[in-house]
Amino acid sequence: MNAIEIKNLTKSFGQKQALCGLNMTVPQGAIYGFIGENGSGKSTTEKIICGLIHENGGSVKLYGKPHTDLDVRASMGVLIEAPGCFPSLSVWNNMMIQAANLRIKDAKKEVVKVLKAVRMEGAAGNKYKNCSLGMKQRIGIAMALLGNPKLLVLDEPINGLDADGMRIMREILTDITKSGATVVISSHVLGELEKIATHYGIIKGGKMIVEMTAEELEASCRTYIALKARDMNAARLLLSSKFSRVVEDKAGYLRVYDEVKNEEIVKQLYDNGIVVTEIKNDKIGLEEYYIDLMKEARK
Amino acid sequence: MTKELNFKSPSFFERIKSMLGVDFYRLFHTPLFYIFLVISAIIPAMVSCLTMMPDQSGNTMEPLYSNVWQIIAASEPLYVVRSIADYANMNMVFIFGGIMVSIFIGHDYKSGYVKQLFTTHAKKQDYMISKSLTCAFAMACMCLTYLIGGIAGGAFAGYAWDINVGSLIIAILGKIIMSLGWASLYTFLNIIFRRYFGVSVGASFFFGTGILIIGVAAIVESLSLPASFLNVFLYGSSVNACLTSNIGTLIVCIWVSFAWAFIYNVAGTYILNKSDVY
Repeated sequence: MNAIEIKNLTKSFGQKQALCGLNMTVPQGAIYGFIGENGSGKSTTEKIICGLIHENGGSVKLYGKPHTDLDVRASMGVLIEAPGCFPSLSVWNNMMIQAANLRIKDAKKEVVKVLKAVRMEGAAGNKYKNCSLGMKQRIGIAMALLGNPKLLVLDEPINGLDADGMRIMREILTDITKSGATVVISSHVLGELEKIATHYGIIKGGKMIVEMTAEELEASCRTYIALKARDMNAARLLLSSKFSRVVEDKAGYLRVYDEVKNEEIVKQLYDNGIVVTEIKNDKIGLEEYYIDLMKEARK
Repeated sequence: MTKELNFKSPSFFERIKSMLGVDFYRLFHTPLFYIFLVISAIIPAMVSCLTMMPDQSGNTMEPLYSNVWQIIAASEPLYVVRSIADYANMNMVFIFGGIMVSIFIGHDYKSGYVKQLFTTHAKKQDYMISKSLTCAFAMACMCLTYLIGGIAGGAFAGYAWDINVGSLIIAILGKIIMSLGWASLYTFLNIIFRRYFGVSVGASFFFGTGILIIGVAAIVESLSLPASFLNVFLYGSSVNACLTSNIGTLIVCIWVSFAWAFIYNVAGTYILNKSDVY
């Protein structure tokens, strides 16, 4: 069964068309990386899923039921933009308010559990307004985890998290899907998303460009040869004249994306008096795949 | 293989119970509520006492009231007021109450709390009902502190105490009951102007002062309708709960307050259902 099934979703704000016939399928148990540029319609889609804004057209089904259905909605955990907490109340009181909203019976125990999970039990007595951005994000994640949600919708949850926070979140999200829950997570930190996502959806201009599994992404990512030479300028000039796409990456490697064997490149450089000091084969990651896809979409 | 998931739908009473629990918890944990309780007590005491103070030439001003209970309710239903004395009674609670409701509900939106709420509580009617009841309770409490402040101020000013106790109790009860209708109106106004905090405070103040009743009173008079027709409005019924009230007044207050509460709750729910929440 699909946890989320969206068909031909449209939404406009005045003259601005935010979503133009968006289709999206999130299988149950998936960690769905929802990717797109700023203003592409990610948050709008997530807000519609959560019932915060109304769609103009199309359908949204959660676990086979309309997204307005109380049964499913009562089992959702949400972090949209920033956590909805009262600034003058303590972290603990804010958590207890959310626990009461969710009608959690053993609220204190459950709140302690989720605060421990995000390593925030020590800050329970702090006023929410005195928490740092990273702490607020952790509180938002803890709040979304209250009541063992079956569907988690997280909008930019990694923002402001430190390395430890990101590792904790990876562990939590991986654990929660083992119980059958589904996670939709949008983020611009693609490197981090790549470590946990099992499915991807890439949106642009209110339309889904591509949906794929992590395996399909792996297969779609092009391979390249990365090399270093004694005379990098000469190597770049030569390779650029021989191959269609040669670029220098941030680590100082020359990347050749054409289908060619390592030996052939080494030979060509050697014949022109250029010594190769290091050569390896690699694959582009999600970030580069996404950038390539956006470039193609713009064309 | 995917695991079987079971979804349990909460009943109406479960939802309302949890939402009321949260709203009352917030009410008792916000300084705002206690500040408005104190304001409600101070205002009648001040109005009673200030008029007894001597002016610059050493003469005392003419007292606004002759009786302690006139600060609680007017002597007779005065739909169109002619002096501050006609106006300054427990109905002022409905003005302070409007501002308090605007701040209370405004915090829901400003903090983003409604995001958490409306995701899990899909029924917008729950929100309207819960907010109306919580704010009605707050305004009823303000009526009681107003009563205490009024009695204290009246005693200090040395006003007379004689009163028809039955009418006084009915007037106080009538005004407390009217809190529900007023709270529903303010909740409704705050739903309409939820994105504009200043406008919702202004609108609540505007409606609370009962300025609109002046226009309606003129229409009623031109149509030769009885002045009691104005009791169908929240302000009219609130004014009607005066020191000459009888059991009929109380029944009218109950009807009017509940009828308007129902209308505003239905209208507010409709608007929330049809518009984007956040």
